[in-house]
Amino acid sequence: MTPQHEALNPSTRTYAVFKWLSVAGAAVFGLGLMIAPQRALSSLLLVSVGLLGMGLGAALFIAFQYVCGAHWAVAIRRVPEAMCGIIPWAAIGILFTLIVGKSLYPWTANHPTGMKGIILNYPLVLIRAVVFLSVWLVLIRAIVRKSRLQDTTGDASLSVSNTRLSAMFLVAFGLTFWMASFDWVMSLEPEWYSTMYGVYHFAGLFLGALAAMTILAVWLQKTGPLRDVLTAEHLHDMGKMLFGFSTFWMYIWFSEYMLIWYADFPEETGHFIRRHTAGWGPLFIANMVVTWLLPFFILLPKRVKRDPSMLVKVSAMILFGRWLDLYLLIYPASVGHESVTFGVIELGMAVAAPGLFMLVFIRSFRASAPVPLADPLLEASLNHHQ
Amino acid sequence: MSNANQRFLMGVFEREEDVLAATNEARLRGLEIADVYTPYAIHGLDAAMGLRPSRLPWVCFALGLAGASFKVWFEFWTSASDWAINVGGKPWNSLPAFVPVTFEVMVLFAAVSTVAAFLVGRGLLPGKRPKLASPGVTDNQFALVIEETNAAFDIDEVSEMLREFGVTHIEERVD
Repeated sequence: MTPQHEALNPSTRTYAVFKWLSVAGAAVFGLGLMIAPQRALSSLLLVSVGLLGMGLGAALFIAFQYVCGAHWAVAIRRVPEAMCGIIPWAAIGILFTLIVGKSLYPWTANHPTGMKGIILNYPLVLIRAVVFLSVWLVLIRAIVRKSRLQDTTGDASLSVSNTRLSAMFLVAFGLTFWMASFDWVMSLEPEWYSTMYGVYHFAGLFLGALAAMTILAVWLQKTGPLRDVLTAEHLHDMGKMLFGFSTFWMYIWFSEYMLIWYADFPEETGHFIRRHTAGWGPLFIANMVVTWLLPFFILLPKRVKRDPSMLVKVSAMILFGRWLDLYLLIYPASVGHESVTFGVIELGMAVAAPGLFMLVFIRSFRASAPVPLADPLLEASLNHHQ
Repeated sequence: MSNANQRFLMGVFEREEDVLAATNEARLRGLEIADVYTPYAIHGLDAAMGLRPSRLPWVCFALGLAGASFKVWFEFWTSASDWAINVGGKPWNSLPAFVPVTFEVMVLFAAVSTVAAFLVGRGLLPGKRPKLASPGVTDNQFALVIEETNAAFDIDEVSEMLREFGVTHIEERVD
């Protein structure tokens, strides 16, 4: 059974909204760079890391499915595939921040000694960024390209070679991502370190990507391309993933917090003290409430996990939590922890990021059939049962 | 199977898809499905049988909550009230230190009570005599058991329906 698929044709008004959000974001960033460069660059880092997380999380989702030989999400795989399109844009943002926003990183002026000095070495950090981003991009593009190629050739062996590429990507990601999160975000506070940091960033990015995927899949079902494809069974699984990874995020958050709280070393506790004093406290608590506490209790019943409108609401809340989480990681370190800084620059860029993301997503999604037509597992996925 | 001398019609199938389709059809025809016996869990069978959602999640939730609450109180009582011990200058009622144990006890209470509730609810207690609908249901066969509700029950008609779904063996049982 292959249902008839409508192409994704968002109304010109929807499209215009995304376009204007992106343009407004770029304008806010340009003005911000002149008035308050520290804030503009911190915001750029925030949205770049956030958007990169959407793309990488989507790629991880695809890779997990291939490696496990899972069939349930094959019918909605074009959603994460199109999400990967944002990675080059996010990569530009990150490289821009590292080069133009060099002053965000205290270690570039005050060079550390010893092992830390070897790792936090400016040319080396730039080289690492280019290498990491290129490796991810090359592998992810190859996976997406082969998946789309299968639509026309119908060659089942493309699934096998994508499984191999997925395994390679997972290993490459595991070896590089923690270091990237150290280089780009943790080193904003070079005196502080945590070995849990990379895992924490992974937990956040995967949860955020799942939430975005859920919203996009429901939107595509409502607007046409995934009508008769996305069922309550798929949503139920997405709901379980959201529930699981929301809890995983909290688990990792607490694992980091508790060890630092228990050991009580001044150079370690500073990170948390800066994030729950001087007005940051309510945000510090809100982060846990919207990313875990509320999603946990809301997603407990089976009924909610199968209800598209509830899932979209919970996902939107998690995405807000994702922004708040990155805001709390970056701003107290790079802009200042003495007071909470939030204004037009932060708001403008926070709402522009989804606009840009949607423009790229729509273009990328329209570049192929809305479902992987010739994937050997498509039939099983369309008839997926709990 | 509680009523004495109740008659049942059992169809044994070789394939998962067949028993699933036959069960669905039996429900749609308004037949009384006594039970379906399978060697493993079949996705979608609960919906095909028209089963009510399980009440076990409530046991899991309530006992998990009870376990967590009990453990927080217990840790507070032992380390801050009954025999207060100063650990590294931390406050006695140090909630972060209580969290890992609270979590573990919550999981323990929730998991053990869910399994126990299942065993008690199904009557799977020590001394229970095994009763198999058909010896194959622990191996490679699937048995759909339909209750013969009243005299109007047409064995031929139901058998014909089962045959449509590739039944391999039909048998009438009295319990």
